[in-house]
Amino acid sequence: MSAPSASHPAHHAPAVWFLKGVRAGLSVPAIVLFASYLGFGAVLQSVGFPLGAGLASTLLVWALPAQLILIGGIAAGTALPALALAVALSSMRLLPMVVSVAPYLRGPRRSLFWELVCAHYVAMTVWLESLRLLPHLPGEARLPFTLGLGNMLIAVSMCGTVAGFLVAGELPTPLAAGLLLLTPLSFTVLMVRNAVVPTDWLALAAGFLLMPATLGLDGGLDLMIAGIGGGSFAYLAGRLLERRRRGRP
Amino acid sequence: MTGAPLTEGAALLIVLLVGFLPTEIWRSLAVLAGRRVEEGSPVFHWVKAVATALLAAVVARLLFAPAGALAAVPLALRLGAVACGVAGFLAFRRSVFAGVLVGEIVLIAGIVLSR
Repeated sequence: MSAPSASHPAHHAPAVWFLKGVRAGLSVPAIVLFASYLGFGAVLQSVGFPLGAGLASTLLVWALPAQLILIGGIAAGTALPALALAVALSSMRLLPMVVSVAPYLRGPRRSLFWELVCAHYVAMTVWLESLRLLPHLPGEARLPFTLGLGNMLIAVSMCGTVAGFLVAGELPTPLAAGLLLLTPLSFTVLMVRNAVVPTDWLALAAGFLLMPATLGLDGGLDLMIAGIGGGSFAYLAGRLLERRRRGRP
Repeated sequence: MTGAPLTEGAALLIVLLVGFLPTEIWRSLAVLAGRRVEEGSPVFHWVKAVATALLAAVVARLLFAPAGALAAVPLALRLGAVACGVAGFLAFRRSVFAGVLVGEIVLIAGIVLSR
């Protein structure tokens, strides 16, 4: 990659930095995003969610867990205000991410509008890439670079969404089933990877086990019971375990 | 999908109000308020647990009550493939790619062999 070194910050027009960001977006994380959104597109197709609105969710929500909760909740018939709460709770993790990137997005001339625009691109991938790449760029380059990077990654993800949606209905059964397994499989592995403290494991187990138990309930309450109920249980049980462990000599 | 299928316009409205707004509010708040959130605070830990359980529940729903081609696959094979994926992840130096690959192979091989 041709990222300029910190010692010799090259001076370019904003458009050049934007294009450098676009190029930085064509990387391994882009392949992972494409595959993830391929699975998401297939899920959209399987539950009968319109492609245009699904694509809009990739562009506007730009956080795959929130998008999955949204589509899963609609498919389950969850009441929309409850679903909005569920999406908000799942997206709250974006706040500390943006807070940690925000100092890099403040250029020499502060523009609240462009800072808000740039913040939109912050999700797991852009967050990691920004923390890795932005510190090496001169101040005036960071904003256009982030816009280029973010737009490229969103474009790749939207291509994945369309491809998954279109392909899901055409593939032979074993491959179509494999495509639909991609989302629950990869998220299960990722959640196992991210689980560190007992609370994480308890939350994972509670959500996973409560869901089939509540599937038959009316009113689409399953997601709320398994998510908010299971998560609260995990939080309390985790604290209790922690306290007991600390109490021991 | 329960009930009548959504039109493109209704679905777009839902994406805007129920998807975009509840997500974007945190990004905007981070820029506007800008203060460091206490990552160790109890509220933060509770939200993290709820977010994890929510995602686990959605994943479980995709496995226990799937739609499309996955619905024709026996439940035991669906769960078995994911369990093998997790085992593969743990066996191959905690590689997410290896885990996903193992899970996919088990599912597709299972479908083909059971025919």
